[in-house]
Amino acid sequence: MSEPLLTVENQRTAFATGRGLVRAVDGVSFTLERGRTLGVVGESGSGKSVLSRSIMRLLPPNARSSGEVRLGGRDLTAMSEKALRALRGPEISIVFQDPMTSLNPVMTIGAQIGEVLTRHLGMSRKAAKARSVELLASVGLPQPDVRVDQHPHQLSGGMRQRVAIAIAIACEPALLIADEPTTALDVTVQAEILDLLARQQAERNMAMILITHDMGVVAGRCDDVAVMYAGRIVEQASTEDLFRDTRMPYTSALLASIPRLDDPPHRKLEAIAGRPPDLIHPPAGCAFSPRCRYADDLCRSQPPALEDAGRGHRFACWRPMTMEAAE
Amino acid sequence: MTVQERIREDHAAPAGAFLDVRDMVVEYPLAGGAKVHAVSGISFQVAKGETLGLVGESGCGKSSAARAVLQLPRPTSGAVRLGEEELTHLRGAALQRARRRFQMIFQDPIASLNPRRRIRDIVAAPLEIVGEGDRAARYKRVAEMLDLVGLNADQAMERRPHEFSGGQCQRISIARALILRPDLLVCDEPVSALDVSVQAQILNLLEDLKHRFGLTLLFISHDLAVVKHVSDRVAVMYLGMMCETADAQSIYRRPAHPYTRTLLSAAPEPDPGRKPAPLDMLAGELPSPVNPPSGCRFRTRCPMAQARCAAEVPQMRRLAPGHAVACHFPLQ
Ligand SMILES: Nc1ncnc2c1ncn2[C@@H]1O[C@H](COP(=O)(O)OP(=O)(O)OP(=O)(O)O)[C@@H](O)[C@H]1O
Ligand code: SF4
Ligand code: SF4
Ligand SMILES: [Mg+2]
Repeated sequence: MSEPLLTVENQRTAFATGRGLVRAVDGVSFTLERGRTLGVVGESGSGKSVLSRSIMRLLPPNARSSGEVRLGGRDLTAMSEKALRALRGPEISIVFQDPMTSLNPVMTIGAQIGEVLTRHLGMSRKAAKARSVELLASVGLPQPDVRVDQHPHQLSGGMRQRVAIAIAIACEPALLIADEPTTALDVTVQAEILDLLARQQAERNMAMILITHDMGVVAGRCDDVAVMYAGRIVEQASTEDLFRDTRMPYTSALLASIPRLDDPPHRKLEAIAGRPPDLIHPPAGCAFSPRCRYADDLCRSQPPALEDAGRGHRFACWRPMTMEAAE
Repeated sequence: MTVQERIREDHAAPAGAFLDVRDMVVEYPLAGGAKVHAVSGISFQVAKGETLGLVGESGCGKSSAARAVLQLPRPTSGAVRLGEEELTHLRGAALQRARRRFQMIFQDPIASLNPRRRIRDIVAAPLEIVGEGDRAARYKRVAEMLDLVGLNADQAMERRPHEFSGGQCQRISIARALILRPDLLVCDEPVSALDVSVQAQILNLLEDLKHRFGLTLLFISHDLAVVKHVSDRVAVMYLGMMCETADAQSIYRRPAHPYTRTLLSAAPEPDPGRKPAPLDMLAGELPSPVNPPSGCRFRTRCPMAQARCAAEVPQMRRLAPGHAVACHFPLQ
């Protein structure tokens, strides 16, 4: 079998802070094939964004990173910043929650897309401008020929996110990381942007990592889902298996705590008591043990490893749930 | 029956209104004589002990409507009656007195608490403002209230907001809002900034406290599932106008307004068996509230729009008991 498009091997990313070392990503491994979508879900602070920046090799100076990230056979962790820059765009790119993270407020939209096209694809300025209009049209921006000469502040939040996506896919990357691309947007705009990403992905056979805290967003749109807690993947499976054959108590508790549209009004929600652990002083055993209703002494003393139980269903738990327990 | 009377009857909350909002308008003047039409004549009623959920997307005017109910600031026009009192007529000391009866909690729990003050003083502040009890008596009330919202009073009293998580800060805001035993609690996106596991804790807490204190709730959110969970009745807004009001079950089972249907179909469901349906809405942008479309404000995005929709503003009319819609061509 040929090598997967992306292989992340025991990635660890920690930050030196005044209070101590924050272990934001603590031994994450997974692979992703071409054309597939992996959803990464987790609550705030679980390490989703640090993981995406670790894959992109876009880490701040106080970060300490180890592990291996291979994209199309190349080890990104061993590459120079210059080589990485050449890769970002044509091979791998990212869309952030706040589109202004990647947009330049003082440049026109056309100039920003054009820059990417001339730099990576060697297009002439004229060709780049024409291609920019096409790209803006393909991401559903109304009046692309007018918008191309406007600045980001002249657009709504949803339109800016469309522009950020146009820039991210301009060089047809093999992998797109979308880090909460719709969290700041209204539900109807979210639906449009997620549809747009799905369409672009299918047309270009692009692989995608869709990062979100919303189980609803991954349910309809991902082939596989990985659940993160305290810097680790605690469960990963095909979307179907993750929702229907949940094995890890945290995933199960997370699913039970979501209000659903088909619930009767005033149903009591199953809240998870407590809060996620401090990443400077994580619990000794399973990071979820202080909040887990099944925790025993083993859970509290030894961290469970992420193991594959077959069909690519992985979970890290000493006392995994069975179908009956989940009922 | 006149049209106005019929509309009133159709709006009537099941058990007589405790909060009764009529034809409320909120406008913000802009330079050059233009204005933002944030809320353009909405009416709704909430019965005592009931929760009305107000849903809509950004810019639909739900927060402006909530603030106008609380007279923060007073609406541009319209009536807001709470119990027997017409709030828009109150001035000065009388308004201050009435304020004890309604409180609000906000989306960003951390930003809504003064970072330099201790929790006991933050929660005691409303008591202090109305001059109730001495210090010791006030702190006793604070401690009781903190216990009720699920915080350990002994540990929390002396500390400052930054030592608490977002969920805990929202509990503190709730304690502060309830310490004067208000009748009406307005919650503006109270769980939107919280993680789902914590969101569930806060929603459960609000439900418990509502029963314990006999509160009437106006609950604002963009999240339909959250709104359905806590509400007895739901009102949907779009661009400053009311689209539809109904009891919480009916509006989800049988949406009558095309916008309600769109919102429902866009809400991501945590169920892999249900693939997201294509959005039931014309492509385009939300029109500006400075210059809203004539007739029905949803018509520029509505897949069912016809000529009449541009010419005539649809009035709220009754479809079934407790279910009203403002659309010329309601669904079903
Ligand atoms: N530059 C940094 N210095 C120190 N700590 C950091 C830095 N960046 C992130 N962290 C910490 O790393 C942990 C993981 O953060 P991360 O942003 O990856 O979470 P997330 O899952 O993306 O959360 P959210 O859902 O809020 O976006 C957090 O505890 C965060 O405070
Ligand atoms: S390892 Fe133990 S504490 Fe952790 S999730 Fe499984 S049962 Fe719960
Ligand atoms: S009045 Fe017309 S435009 Fe408005 S929602 Fe009804 S059908 Fe659509
Ligand atoms: Mg993040």
